[in-house]
Amino acid sequence: MSALVAEAGQVLPGFSRTVTRADLVRYAGASGDFNPIHWSDGAAAALGLPDVIAHGMLTMGTALRVVTDWCGEVDRVRSYSVRFTKPVVVPAEGGATIRFAGTVTKVEDGVATVSIEAACDEVRVLGAATAEVLLG
Amino acid sequence: MPISEEHVGRSYPATAPYQVSRAKIAEFAAALGDADNPAYAGNAAVAPPTFAVVLASAAWDAMFADPELGLSLSRTVHVDQKFSWQRPLRAGDEVSATLTIEKVRARGTTAIIAISVALTTSDGELLCTATSTLMHTEETA
Repeated sequence: MSALVAEAGQVLPGFSRTVTRADLVRYAGASGDFNPIHWSDGAAAALGLPDVIAHGMLTMGTALRVVTDWCGEVDRVRSYSVRFTKPVVVPAEGGATIRFAGTVTKVEDGVATVSIEAACDEVRVLGAATAEVLLG
Repeated sequence: MPISEEHVGRSYPATAPYQVSRAKIAEFAAALGDADNPAYAGNAAVAPPTFAVVLASAAWDAMFADPELGLSLSRTVHVDQKFSWQRPLRAGDEVSATLTIEKVRARGTTAIIAISVALTTSDGELLCTATSTLMHTEETA
């Protein structure tokens, strides 16, 4: 592994991703999570949702790219936690665009703590999203 | 009988061994929009970190199938999720998942359930611990 350094306050490169219905179907197949609220208008409506919603784990997994794109080696990621605070509503036309960003909040004992933000229409969809990354 | 504090500590038998494949890793990376990351390709492919959910959620099935708890996936909200890794899952790993109920707080028809799932190789090496908080609402007639 090449050396990785970080300092508190460091802003990591962010990115946006537009998630479409097709992406939800793809994630359902890849993950094995076929809960119909992620692909059926009827199932979403029955639960009072405005539309089909993205898998929380799809948002969680995509958000971690802020860290893996920065640190390079995936085995540097020691832990990752999120709260699913708001659903990402994915309309049939156009999908939903999520913006991801990250900041190093702490460096201690060779481990960087990264705070990750994920927002859709300016609303935060993940809470307390935090990853620990091995430095050195 | 609904789920209650009595069920804390209950564990289920490990899931059948699952062999992580290069094809499945590539499929999962593509689903995350991350197909271009070279770490997820080739003979030495590692899985995207959150691939662990594929194994963890297989272990959920045993808990949801436990008739004593009366749980239904369709009345369950995933509140939070944490993973701690010893190392990434790799193509070729044969992995089983074991679920333990860690904490239950029941109030009225709502229960907050904390579970942990240990992912271990068939050689007994711990790869990852996946912990989740679930909110379950009992069906009211």
